[in-house]
Amino acid sequence: MADTATTPRTDADDSGLKRSITGAQLFFYTLGDVLGSGIYVLIGLVAAAVGGAFWIAFAAGVTVAAITGSAYAELVTKYPQAAGSSLYVQKAFGSRPLTFLVTVSFLAASFAATGSLATGFASYFSELWAAPPALLVSLVFVAFLVVVNFIGITESVVMNMLMTFVEVSGLIIIMVIGIWYVAEGKADFGTLGDISVSGNPALAVLAGVALSFFAMTGFENTANVAEETIDPYKAFPRSMIGGMAVAGLVYVLVSMAAALTVPVDTLAESEAALLEVVKAGILPISTDFMTKLFTIIALIAITNTTLVTLVTQPRILYGMAREDVVPGVFARIHATRRSPWVGLLFSGLVVAGLLVTGYAVSAAGGGLDLVNRLATVTVVFLLAIYALVIVTCLKLRGHDEDDRAFRANTPLLVLGLLGNLAILYYAVYDDPHSLWWCAGLLAIGVVLFVVEQVFGSKGTGEKTPDLDDVKGV
Amino acid sequence: MHVIVATDGSRQSLAAAKHLKSFADPTKVTQVSVVAVVRPLASVAFADDVSGRDYDGSFRDAAQSAVDTIAAVFDGWGPKVNKRIRSGSAANEIIKAAKQYDAGLIVVAAGGGGLSDAVLVGSTAQRVQHYAPCPVLVVRPAPRRKK
Repeated sequence: MADTATTPRTDADDSGLKRSITGAQLFFYTLGDVLGSGIYVLIGLVAAAVGGAFWIAFAAGVTVAAITGSAYAELVTKYPQAAGSSLYVQKAFGSRPLTFLVTVSFLAASFAATGSLATGFASYFSELWAAPPALLVSLVFVAFLVVVNFIGITESVVMNMLMTFVEVSGLIIIMVIGIWYVAEGKADFGTLGDISVSGNPALAVLAGVALSFFAMTGFENTANVAEETIDPYKAFPRSMIGGMAVAGLVYVLVSMAAALTVPVDTLAESEAALLEVVKAGILPISTDFMTKLFTIIALIAITNTTLVTLVTQPRILYGMAREDVVPGVFARIHATRRSPWVGLLFSGLVVAGLLVTGYAVSAAGGGLDLVNRLATVTVVFLLAIYALVIVTCLKLRGHDEDDRAFRANTPLLVLGLLGNLAILYYAVYDDPHSLWWCAGLLAIGVVLFVVEQVFGSKGTGEKTPDLDDVKGV
Repeated sequence: MHVIVATDGSRQSLAAAKHLKSFADPTKVTQVSVVAVVRPLASVAFADDVSGRDYDGSFRDAAQSAVDTIAAVFDGWGPKVNKRIRSGSAANEIIKAAKQYDAGLIVVAAGGGGLSDAVLVGSTAQRVQHYAPCPVLVVRPAPRRKK
C-alpha cells in the first residue's frame, strides 16, 4: 500500500493510467456534499439554541471543519486511496482493533446521517404534498435511492455537478432575499448580535456549533475519489479548504439573511426553517411559486448528499468483507451491474430500521426529534473521528513524506483538535441519550464481526460464475 | 487488427478473453489491448474477482491485478499486448478506447442473464454493442449444467 502512495505515477497514455476527476469536479463534489447536509434541515434548531446571532455558530463550526479538512488534505495527498480515515489510522497506529472501531464508527455515522437526511427530506416533502405520512415518505425516499444507486445513475459526474449547482442556487435565493430586505431599509442589524438565550453566551454559541456541526460534515467523503483525481496534490488542498471556505461564507450569509428577515421564534419552531424566509414574501414574486421552487431545490440538495452517504456505506462494507472482518456476503458483486448489492440492501435496511425505531419512540411519547437526534449521533461519531484524524496527521509527520504532498499548518491543527473535542463534549453533554443510539449502531458492526468469526470462512464468498460453466472454455 | 478485450474484473471477462484466444488467428491480430475502467463515483469502483489477490483498499491496484491476469491469457500468443486502465463510465471509456486505437473488434463479457438483465436497461455490454465503432463480441455465460 505504501508504495502506491510514494511511487510517482505518470498519467501519460503509455502507462495506461488515466484519471478522470478534475480539480473543478472535486471542488463541486466537496461543496455539494457539505452544503446539502444540515443547512436545509437544522437552521431552526441552531436559531433556537443561540438566538439572532446564530451565524456565529455557523462561522465557528465551519472554521473547525475547515481545519480538519486541511488535515484530511495532507493525509489524502500522502495516501491517495478511497479508504480515508480507516487507512490513516491503520498507518499511524497499526492497531487492528482501533482501525475496526474507526471503520465501524464511520459506517455508523454514515447510517445516522442518511437517517437524519431522509427525515429532513420528509419535512420538506410535506410542503409539496402533505397527505402521505412522514415515515412512509422517508422510507420510500431511502428505497428509491438504493435502487438508483444499484442501477448506477449516481456514477454520473455531470449529474453530480448539476445537483450541486441547484443546491447552491437555493442558498443564493435566500441571500438575495436578505439583500433585498436590507436594501429596502427594513433590516434591524441589532438582531445579528442578539444572543437571547439565558446563561453564558459562549456556551450558547457552543451549543449552536454542536447542533449546526452536522452541516459541516461530508467533506471526509471526498477521499472516495482520491485515486481518480488528476493532480491530487493541488486539487485536494484547494477543494477541501476552498470548498469549506465557500460553504462557510454561504452559511454565514444565509444565517444572517434568515435572522434578519424572519423572527427567531418562527425559525426555531419551523420544521423546514429556510422555507420561512421564502414565505415571508419579501421578493415581489408570487410567494406560492417561490415556496414550491425552493422546496424542490431543498429536496434536490438533500438527495445529493444522501446519495453520497449511500455510496459510501456499501463501499466500507465491501472493504471490510474483503479483509474478512465482516461476512463475505458483503463483498458480493452483482454480475451485470457490478455493484455490491448485498451491502447496498443491508445499508438501506439499517437506515429503515433507524427511521422506524425513531418513529416508534416518538409514538410512544418519547418526545424525540428524529432529525436532531440522528444528526447528533452522526456528529458525535464524526467529531471523534476528526479529532483522531488530526492526531494521526501529526503522528504521521516524517513518514511517507513527498515534496508534492500538502502540509497543514501545525498550530491550526492543534486548535482544530481542541475545537473538535470541545464540540464533541458539548454534543454529548447536551444530548446524552444520543449515546444509546451510538452504542446501538456500533453493536451492528460488532454483531457482523462476531458472525464472521463464528460462521465465516477465509476468503470471500462466491466466485461467479464457475469457469467450467462458461461456453467456449 | 487491434482487438480490445474489456474487463470489469469478473470471471466472465476472463472467460471472454479465453474464448477469443480459442478461435481467433493470432497472425491476423496485430495488437491486443486489455482495458479496465475504474468508476470513481461507484460504491465499488472496481471489483477484481479474477486475480485472487487481496483487496488492499486501492481500486486502481484491483484494476491493475485484473488487467495483468487477463493479459497473462495472451502470453506467448503472438500479438503485442497492452494494458490500459481508464477512469469514468465503463461503456463510454471502452468505446472511446476503441476509437482511439482504431480497434477492429471489442470483446466484452455479458453479466448474469437473470431477471435483472431483462428488466434493467443500459448495462455496459448493451451500450457497447449499440455505440461501438467496430464489431463487438459479447461472451455470455452458458446455462448452468447439473453435475
